[in-house]
Amino acid sequence: MLLPSHLESATPAVYGSRMRVAVLIGTEKGAFVATSDAARRQWQVEGPLFKGWKVTASARSPSGRYLVATASFVYGPALHVGDDLSGLAQVEDGPAYPEGGDLKLSQIWTINAGASRHYAGVDQAGLFFSDDDGQSWQPVPGLNDHPTRKGWLPGAGGLCAHAVLVDPANAERIWCGISAVGVFRSDDGGATWVPKNEGVDQVVPDPNFPDIGRCVHGLAPDSEHADTIFRQDHSGMYRTYDGGDHWERNEAGLSSGFGFPIAMDPLTSALYAVPIESGEYRMPVGGAFRPHRSTNGGDSWEPLGNGLPPPPYEAGVLRGAMAVDGLDPGGVYLGTAAGDLFVSADGGDSWQGLPCTLPRILSVEVYVEE
Amino acid sequence: MAHVILQLPTPVCSILGLTARSHEVEGATVDEALEDAYGRLPGLRVHLCDESGALRQHVSCFLNETGTRWLTEGEQHLADGDRITILQAVSGGT
Repeated sequence: MLLPSHLESATPAVYGSRMRVAVLIGTEKGAFVATSDAARRQWQVEGPLFKGWKVTASARSPSGRYLVATASFVYGPALHVGDDLSGLAQVEDGPAYPEGGDLKLSQIWTINAGASRHYAGVDQAGLFFSDDDGQSWQPVPGLNDHPTRKGWLPGAGGLCAHAVLVDPANAERIWCGISAVGVFRSDDGGATWVPKNEGVDQVVPDPNFPDIGRCVHGLAPDSEHADTIFRQDHSGMYRTYDGGDHWERNEAGLSSGFGFPIAMDPLTSALYAVPIESGEYRMPVGGAFRPHRSTNGGDSWEPLGNGLPPPPYEAGVLRGAMAVDGLDPGGVYLGTAAGDLFVSADGGDSWQGLPCTLPRILSVEVYVEE
Repeated sequence: MAHVILQLPTPVCSILGLTARSHEVEGATVDEALEDAYGRLPGLRVHLCDESGALRQHVSCFLNETGTRWLTEGEQHLADGDRITILQAVSGGT
């Protein structure tokens, strides 16, 4: 069971189908769950869970356990785990900086739930891991106490570790994206980390730390080659073919190099991004809300708009608020800062908006159940 | 050791799965009573305290009708039946 029983009874048609697609929409004021069948045309939206709390990230581990992160500017962050969304319980030994230290944990930005180890990236920037399916967490000192740390400066969204990638074939090889610092890679399971930003424009110049000062906004792993990574950065769109040793721009066709989320469909390898106008304005270019797609590994991009609202639509998509579902045809989900969720069930060719307006959307994840 | 009532804000109760706002706790001082509460109510400490160990910036604590920030340490001793109330500070915003 995914939803609380009182919600399940309200959606008998959805629950009667064999496959169910559930979108966990994390907002400024709680989480909402949109459910559909494999067609992804008819949706039921229920919620909120965690009413009044920011829901900043979620994940489901290979064991089937859900992990959901909440935060409040009054009451702080927390992590909740459970085998279904109706049975989430707060973790007592969640990610936390030591009492009495200089670092404060304001929210969990991302959760990477692996088969044997989970990672959580947080603000103030740092990384934590769990080897017991999210029940207890320990810091990753090799990154959290990195020699460059004194040169780490917060961006507009804070000093946050918001992206974690793990090589599916080699769990020792890990990437972490921190804004406004850059990408770090570990080749020894997190013991040591090296900045990997060559080729990316430096936006926070610091002669003492020439290898950082890059403001990564999002990372998307290639579906086939772990060392191929796509990077939406403050300074533009980039890709690497060598695990981050070198980066190159790939912006042909984008209405702007600036944006936040980036994702790759694991079946088709189609890339999705949402360009917005510059760091100064952070609004859709010309008032046109247009995600972009690349079907050739970032060589070129095309705008998508069939079914999306006409201009002016002046809200963007925050870095954690885009997701793909990996189904065939691929589903793409965009949660906007205006509280709309747009869904494409055909890889971006057409879109529909869910019939609801939610609080500002912070995180979107898709969970498919057979 | 006094037996007092701790009243928690509803957002904190809901996220911890607590069905009641009021909880009996023990202590000779407000700090001791809160420590007792942290032991009785797993997960509470992270919502009330930051990494310095002090109450979070926007968390207010009242002993009966008076905010503890306006009480000296000596004025925070407890008697049976006292009430400690945790509230969100008036902070504005959306």
